[in-house]
Amino acid sequence: MFKSMLKCSTIIGATILPITAVHAGGHATTYGPFPVTLQSYSGDKENSVSYSGQIARHVLHDSLKVLAGRGDGGANAASLKAEMLAYFSGSDKNKAILAPLTKDGFVIKQGTLNEISSGKNIEGKFYNGAMLAWPGSMKGRDVAMHMIERASVATKGFDADNGYDWAQLISKFTMGAMAYSQAVDNYLDEKLEADTKPNNKPYKDGTAYTGKEHVWDEGFGYFGAAAHTLALSADQAYGIAKRKDVASADANGDGVIDLKTEMVFGPAYYAAAFDRSGSKSTNYLNTIMQSYVDGRMLITSANGAVLTDAQRSSLKSHAAVIESNWEQVLAEAVFKYAGSAYKDISKMQEDGADVAKVYRGYVKHWGELKGFSMALQSGRNNLGETAGTMNDLILFGPVTLDNSYVTGVTSSGEFKRDKRMTWNDYQLQLLQVQQLMVNKFSVSSRVNDQLADLGALADKLGTQSNAETD
Amino acid sequence: MEITEVFNSFLSDFIDPKKRIFLGYLILSLGIAYLWLVVIRRTSLKKAHFQIFNRKVFFSKSAQIDYKIFFINRAFSLFISPLLITQIAIATLIYYALHRQNIFYSGQFSGLSQPLVIALFSVAMFVVDDFTKYFVHRWMHNWSILWAFHKVHHSAETMTPITVYRVHPAEGILFGLRSAVSQGVVISIFFFLFGNAVDLYTIVGVNILVFFFHMTGSNLRHSHINIRYWKWLEYIFISPAQHQLHHSIAQEHYDKNFGAALAIWDWLFGSLHLSEEDKEITYGLTGDPAAPRSIGDMYLKPFTDILNILSGNFTKVQKKMFSSSTEKPFEARFWPRH
Repeated sequence: MFKSMLKCSTIIGATILPITAVHAGGHATTYGPFPVTLQSYSGDKENSVSYSGQIARHVLHDSLKVLAGRGDGGANAASLKAEMLAYFSGSDKNKAILAPLTKDGFVIKQGTLNEISSGKNIEGKFYNGAMLAWPGSMKGRDVAMHMIERASVATKGFDADNGYDWAQLISKFTMGAMAYSQAVDNYLDEKLEADTKPNNKPYKDGTAYTGKEHVWDEGFGYFGAAAHTLALSADQAYGIAKRKDVASADANGDGVIDLKTEMVFGPAYYAAAFDRSGSKSTNYLNTIMQSYVDGRMLITSANGAVLTDAQRSSLKSHAAVIESNWEQVLAEAVFKYAGSAYKDISKMQEDGADVAKVYRGYVKHWGELKGFSMALQSGRNNLGETAGTMNDLILFGPVTLDNSYVTGVTSSGEFKRDKRMTWNDYQLQLLQVQQLMVNKFSVSSRVNDQLADLGALADKLGTQSNAETD
Repeated sequence: MEITEVFNSFLSDFIDPKKRIFLGYLILSLGIAYLWLVVIRRTSLKKAHFQIFNRKVFFSKSAQIDYKIFFINRAFSLFISPLLITQIAIATLIYYALHRQNIFYSGQFSGLSQPLVIALFSVAMFVVDDFTKYFVHRWMHNWSILWAFHKVHHSAETMTPITVYRVHPAEGILFGLRSAVSQGVVISIFFFLFGNAVDLYTIVGVNILVFFFHMTGSNLRHSHINIRYWKWLEYIFISPAQHQLHHSIAQEHYDKNFGAALAIWDWLFGSLHLSEEDKEITYGLTGDPAAPRSIGDMYLKPFTDILNILSGNFTKVQKKMFSSSTEKPFEARFWPRH
């Protein structure tokens, strides 16, 4: 009863929130609607918020991940690759949304990509700097293409010999190489400069929003948070991404979930996931969301005038908070999956273990570890030595069942595995990955902390600060 | 540093069950002392009362020094302990290092039942802790430089439960490190082999075995109540009387009974001495001119002694040592014997 009342109040609250996005006092509780401030605008639009292109890219990403697991070992390779490329590089056709789909009572409003935004692709927004984490000294987009190629010939996205889970690798890498990279290295970076997309002009001819309004909106869109995130707990945001919590998702109460404003996608989902687990001491989701809302409020308050240096400086400080927290979320993911892979290795060696099954889980977790580590290297910051150390520890591929691991690729794109490492040695490297995340990124949620239990037990024993001498 | 901070830390030992002078343990020790004197030794209640609360013991000059050291050492430990390496740091280092061997793998015995793992860990922690106490204590007696510090403890001529804290800060550091190393080693090995099923059986937050040790009158080791055990039990556990004998000035008691809780180490390594019925024991370093006497001596004399040892002035001191034939020759305690 109480629970249903709570749900009811959430629905009512969420319904009212968009209407009251901007209070008289200047506080917004949702990301939009925000008024049109462009002085030269003469159209009839009343809302200047627009980031549907970014939502379409999240959907392209989710759909691509589904396709990456549909290989049948080579027979459907050509058609599967073409289909994956249609989502990665774009298509003239109005492609179906493969994920997220309606599940149980969680009804998704849109069924095709054009219902969100047409003509979008991932490739054009994909990080294209050097990606030394992957064998072959390739650039970011080439790495993605290589992964798509390999996924199309794999069986259900699983390459047992080399230890790759393509759906995980493609998905987690893209979450950084597209979403994180575009947000922190483009929209929240150079596009905040005075000479780029000024606030007293439309973003493009005819748009209702100013240059800076739309720059900020696009930066927000890549985060993948629901517009009403500030009214949500981490648990609720998590429940929305998992398509379980309709009441929390359906902000306008129309019975369907609008992917454009009500859904929670990858980056925001992981922020919520770490806030609600591990040490539960972090507040990534809310911190990032608040900065986005505050930044947008600041731009709106300029009322269509060019932003002053002070305003842009304030905007950049919001951007810095977003970037540092987002980077930490990715580092938390690296930390978590390094711990998962560590545990899997121990499980594989247990007497009577179903090795094949545990190995499958290990490859999945490793794919997430690797993908997130590559995401971390796709941002604005050159991680320098940290990236090198991280790559050396994680390796190009996981230590596989015969203890060999991928050391490079041949000119034809085949993987080479000409070195071996013991399980114990690799576990040590995974521990060092966790330590690196703590030292360099100060991660504090620390899910799957391999040393936490050890530390807790040491605390339980207590320190002997005063000698009791006999 | 605020004096109130020192005072609070001083008081906290009485309400912390991890400390030997926790009020609960003191009260239990009191009960055990009465039982021993009245029921076993057939002493009148009045006499027992007088013996337990002997003003000559609790207000002696020696006891007053104990109290002062107890208080002053709080201040030392407040700023020294954060500088010491923690058992977590040691455990982490060893845990990492264990991954570099290939005989055992991480979590090799994680399939064992958790109660068994917890029992094994609780026992291992207690035994290793006790064993390292034995050896560090033995070194303190046999190595001249360490003895220079440890004789602060042995200079006590009357013993009360507070005497357990009559320790030079340098010895405090050494014991802190010993504790960190022994805990670090056991924790890391157990975590490596048994995974995160490892835990400790505790009562009031203390290892159940340590709790048992304190509950059965560990405070009476430093007292004038000479509780003895059955002979066979004194081969396994050190009785209060056996430890009191360790503080004796009689030559035949030198370098005996180094053990903390377990007597088996003394038995194994040839330093066990069973308690003796109705033998009068004199505590301290009587007749030893090198014994510290004032509170200033307690803190500084070990350093002048060490300087003497290092600069070769030892022979000058040594001549004075033979003034009393009943005492152990000074150099026997100054130089390692093996």
